[in-house]
Amino acid sequence: MRFFIASERLGKIGDLYTPKDGINIDALLAGGFIVQAEVSTTEEEKSAKPKYKKAPKE
Amino acid sequence: MATSTYLSSPVVTVNAVDLSDQCTGATVNINYDQLEATAFGDSSRKYVSGLGSHSVTLDFYASFAATETWATLKSLVGTSTNVIVKPTTGADSATNPGLTFTGTFLAALPVVTSLGALGTISVTFNGGVYTSDES
Repeated sequence: MRFFIASERLGKIGDLYTPKDGINIDALLAGGFIVQAEVSTTEEEKSAKPKYKKAPKE
Repeated sequence: MATSTYLSSPVVTVNAVDLSDQCTGATVNINYDQLEATAFGDSSRKYVSGLGSHSVTLDFYASFAATETWATLKSLVGTSTNVIVKPTTGADSATNPGLTFTGTFLAALPVVTSLGALGTISVTFNGGVYTSDES
């Protein structure tokens, strides 16, 4: 699971955030200080992409 | 005589969030239980260190804006987190130690408001492991 900084109070916005031991991640998420990265690598989502047929050759 | 004057540049972070610009005071108590170790033959009492029993009290303005004091503290009450208090914004060193409390517990979140005055939140974190980051 990856998190990115969303507030300058935590660091540079957009940077990857790696929490140290003892940090309450849920509180950071609830307060809007970090956002959770949305990574989708499932086959279902891959197959959901529209498929295009090649035009027939004349 | 060596002294430290805290004017405007101390750094206070709670759960890794820098709240220095909302903080007006910090009281750090580094305590260890004092266990009696005196035995027959001793002419004076002796003690050894027991469990650490530390606390940090922080005074904040009660800002309810996004990613400010309330947003930082509201989800921490009843849980443990990390608190760091440092004399200045400079790098950690022997003369600018980061007083770090890891896994310290926030039991209460009192908000004080009154007519014509800025609201305040004074919180006390108890327990946790104390270290002094000097490098």
